[in-house]
Amino acid sequence: MTGTPVLEIEHLSISFMTRAGEIPAVLDFSCRLEAGEAMGLVGESGCGKSTVALGIMRYLGRSGRITGGAIRFNGRDLLAMGERELRRLRGSELAMIYQEPMASLNPAMTVGRQLMEVPMAHAGRSAAEARQLAIDAAVAVKLPDPARIVDAYPHQLSGGQQQRVVIAMALMSKPKLLILDEPTTALDVTVEAGIIDLIRELRETSGTSILFISHNLGLVLETCDRVCVMYSGEAAETGSVSDIFTRTRHPYTQALFRSIPLPGADKNASPLVAIPGHLPLPHERPPGCHFGPRCDHFIAGRCDTGEIPMTAVDAGHDSRCIRVDEIDWSRTAAAAGRGTHSQIGAPVLKIDRLRKYYDAAANALFGGGEKRSVKANESLSFEAREGEILAIVGESGCGKSTLAKILIGLEVASGGVAAMDDRPVQATPVQQRAPETVASIQMIFQNPFDTLNPSMTVGSQIVRALEKFGCGEGVAERRQRMLELLDLVRLPRAFERRLPHQLSGGQKQRIGIARAFAGRPKLVLADEPVSALDVSVQAAVTELLMDVQRRSRTTMLFISHDLSIVRYLADRVVVMYLGHIVEQGRTEEVYTPPYHPYTEALLSAVPIADIKVEKKRILLEGEIPSALNPPSGCPFQTRCRWKHQVRDRLCETELPPDVDLGAGHVIKCHLPTEALTAMSPVIAQRDEKTGMR
Amino acid sequence: MTTIEITLTILMRFFPVWIALALIFAPSILFRRHLGPYGKLLESPVGAFGLGLVLFWVLTALLAQFIITASPLEQVSGMKNAFPGTALPDAAGRYYLLGGDNLARDVFSRMIMGSRTVLAIAPAATLFAYVAAFMLGLPAGYFGGRFDSALTFIANLILAFPVILLFYLLVTPEIRASGVPTLAAAVLFLLPIIFFVTLIASRFSAQPAKLALYLAVTLVLGLWVYAGLAFDADPLGVFSMDPNRLNIFISVVFVNMPVVFRIVRGLTLDIRTRDYIAAAQTRGESAWYIMLWEILPNARGPLIVDFCLRIGYTTILLGTLGFFGLGVSPESPDWGTTINDGRKLLSIYPHPALPPALALMSLVLGLNLLADGLREQSLKD
Repeated sequence: MTGTPVLEIEHLSISFMTRAGEIPAVLDFSCRLEAGEAMGLVGESGCGKSTVALGIMRYLGRSGRITGGAIRFNGRDLLAMGERELRRLRGSELAMIYQEPMASLNPAMTVGRQLMEVPMAHAGRSAAEARQLAIDAAVAVKLPDPARIVDAYPHQLSGGQQQRVVIAMALMSKPKLLILDEPTTALDVTVEAGIIDLIRELRETSGTSILFISHNLGLVLETCDRVCVMYSGEAAETGSVSDIFTRTRHPYTQALFRSIPLPGADKNASPLVAIPGHLPLPHERPPGCHFGPRCDHFIAGRCDTGEIPMTAVDAGHDSRCIRVDEIDWSRTAAAAGRGTHSQIGAPVLKIDRLRKYYDAAANALFGGGEKRSVKANESLSFEAREGEILAIVGESGCGKSTLAKILIGLEVASGGVAAMDDRPVQATPVQQRAPETVASIQMIFQNPFDTLNPSMTVGSQIVRALEKFGCGEGVAERRQRMLELLDLVRLPRAFERRLPHQLSGGQKQRIGIARAFAGRPKLVLADEPVSALDVSVQAAVTELLMDVQRRSRTTMLFISHDLSIVRYLADRVVVMYLGHIVEQGRTEEVYTPPYHPYTEALLSAVPIADIKVEKKRILLEGEIPSALNPPSGCPFQTRCRWKHQVRDRLCETELPPDVDLGAGHVIKCHLPTEALTAMSPVIAQRDEKTGMR
Repeated sequence: MTTIEITLTILMRFFPVWIALALIFAPSILFRRHLGPYGKLLESPVGAFGLGLVLFWVLTALLAQFIITASPLEQVSGMKNAFPGTALPDAAGRYYLLGGDNLARDVFSRMIMGSRTVLAIAPAATLFAYVAAFMLGLPAGYFGGRFDSALTFIANLILAFPVILLFYLLVTPEIRASGVPTLAAAVLFLLPIIFFVTLIASRFSAQPAKLALYLAVTLVLGLWVYAGLAFDADPLGVFSMDPNRLNIFISVVFVNMPVVFRIVRGLTLDIRTRDYIAAAQTRGESAWYIMLWEILPNARGPLIVDFCLRIGYTTILLGTLGFFGLGVSPESPDWGTTINDGRKLLSIYPHPALPPALALMSLVLGLNLLADGLREQSLKD
């Protein structure tokens, strides 16, 4: 490429001035973005990637200062610009899209009016012209029924549609640079896949340069040409996508790849390798290499003295590692496989035709109005065995959380049976359960920042759980047991006296695990236990959870939307859609053909951070139907791409039967078995196109 | 006496208060880094100043008998409406520092003693309003449904009723004769006992020894105070409450309660959706344990701020009541009554009404600044 780059950042440093002093957030950050190029900025939370984006927009707030370096946009110095000039630039040549679409839209204005503001403010168009442009923009981002949607208020749209509106708004002024800050993190996987497709397409048609900020290496691989991996305020490695993914030359990048479950990972043969330690706080950064204390290749005296400069590996590929020429990069991780399969025993949990309907009367106080019900769970049947990890997979609104609530006793089922050791539990709320039953079914919650009572010490919270489960006699014995539980989740015993806000996210989740396992439960429901954690912490917590589960031979229901981690750890998988189980079977069976059409789409939507994997792209049309008004016949028929292969419009009239394809692999579909078996795999290794693994 | 002399003498009279303030503030500021949230409060100038003002009046109330120059009820002939700094006719070297009022009493001493009435009723009444609001607001927010709708409706009814009219009603002889205030007191003073018993019972049910001890202490202490305050039947005669004061107390609690109820209910509605509440439910905790030990401690930030503001509001309310001649006895030195007395001759003799008015203002200002400091603190973490 020739000419001036769209964006050129040289040795940028950004600090935040607080009462406690100056906190450097970004140090010596450099990058170049050519016209039409897409660059991914990857890193864990707190590494400074969003600060870089805000620095480019010059939106650092009152406490943020750019303390050094230069940012040039189309050759013009952004740092020398005045407020007026910047304002003209923002929203016209420079546009930014944030994580939460609802937070970027004004809830009191129709979508159309908000879109119209862009050409009216920046190009001085008339209202009528602007409206036409708004509709055109809505068409460009593939919003359904654009003429109607421009008159809707943001809350009337789904999350995916809202994000499309935000993208439309950003693109209306034809920006030269579009900054996307985790644009799909708040969305479901299939919706995310749609947005990612849209971004790739818009890149090709509009020629806009893109700075794509994400914590997900898989997404970056799918959208970008070049990648910059950030760690603790610095760029650790930059290069083209193929450089970073095939010729990794920084220990941090390498460690990141080892800690995410790729299709080849196996929980027994090649477990995930977690990065030891944690991200240093901005004012506690070690001297020399920031990654040094967590690095396998650390050499005292070399890595911890002086500034570590960015060194060129080859053209366009730089790494901030002084030992880049010494490390044997092809060596695989040292962690040995456990090699032991956990023994799967007799069924512990039996669920038979379990149903849960919520009443959604128009006016609950005075009755009246027509009675409607939300069918959250519709005739669920499956079993979970002792020592087994059973994953329940599905997008938001599929009823997986409702199922967990029934099992734990926060909700009561409307029909069917859920039996724990042959004793039905579906109709007993948790307050009426015996302490042994309560202790035997426990739950690990999704958001570690919200599962611990902020005003009680960690130790007393675990002791309280022990008290409620009737474990131990007297205070001293319970305290002893609590300390053992801290050992079990590999936290220092001194944490007993800490308050939750003194713990990191991963540590909090470990406490959550200790609390759930306090009463030696038979069944643990893990509701997305690692999805709120950073990549490097995820691996450690996942391994710990599996280790504890394996040792106690507990049955675990692992509720997740992350198909990569499910493939890695689950023994069996249940796929749910709109309150129905559409497919269940052993993990290998679910991840290979024959698929249920929904499983196929779900698998294709998951971004995979492996350049050697080739994926079939299947885009789901439309939105998930409302559970208040589910489609007739098959729940998936409104979005199914195989529907035309079924005769007599059976999909629209009749709920499909459960077809057993052998050994407990059940698919709820009208497609004939031959059509199912003839499906080709969604994920294939690029070199050996025979299927995965 | 000249103005400067008066000022210096008054500052000297407050000598015990200055000593006490110095004793509290010097170590607090010295060790503020080790004092947690309290130390952080002192680092904010607004909070430290507010705390200082509040402490000043608390200490004044405590040390009042060392500060006053005359008895607040003593009338000295010839001192009627005397100007500030007038010497007493008979005793040499004694002055009415801020002059005399319409009944020839010492304005300065009355203001100092008045702080006792104000500081005895306002915080205690606010505290009782809070306990009552906890007992109703927590279940209303936690359970929701019709119980919540009914309670919120009643709270709105009380809020919609003119406060002053309500007070007039509560102190009319007919209403008092009907026994309504005593009944209300019987219920209201029982609530804190129920509150603490529930608090202890829900927490220590798994530790019988501790449970029995704590419950016994609470019940003995609680019922003793209860007998004294609500029925004036304390066997030892330590706790008692003048019926007039009881009336005013009940009225103030009654007026404050619906507002605090709504705050507590709102906070409960928010906190009950947190995962740690679900976690408590899934380990089979009782509803009261969740309300009192999981929700209430985590609602403390906004509640402490509101508590400070509400003491200020109650202080003004007491002043207003005194101003209208409600509640406390006519010769009581409390600030509201004194301001009302001084009002009649305000254009000729402003000095009897001004000191209590300034005192009231500075106390409320102190409470508001303290609340601001606390709020600033709670926003930071």
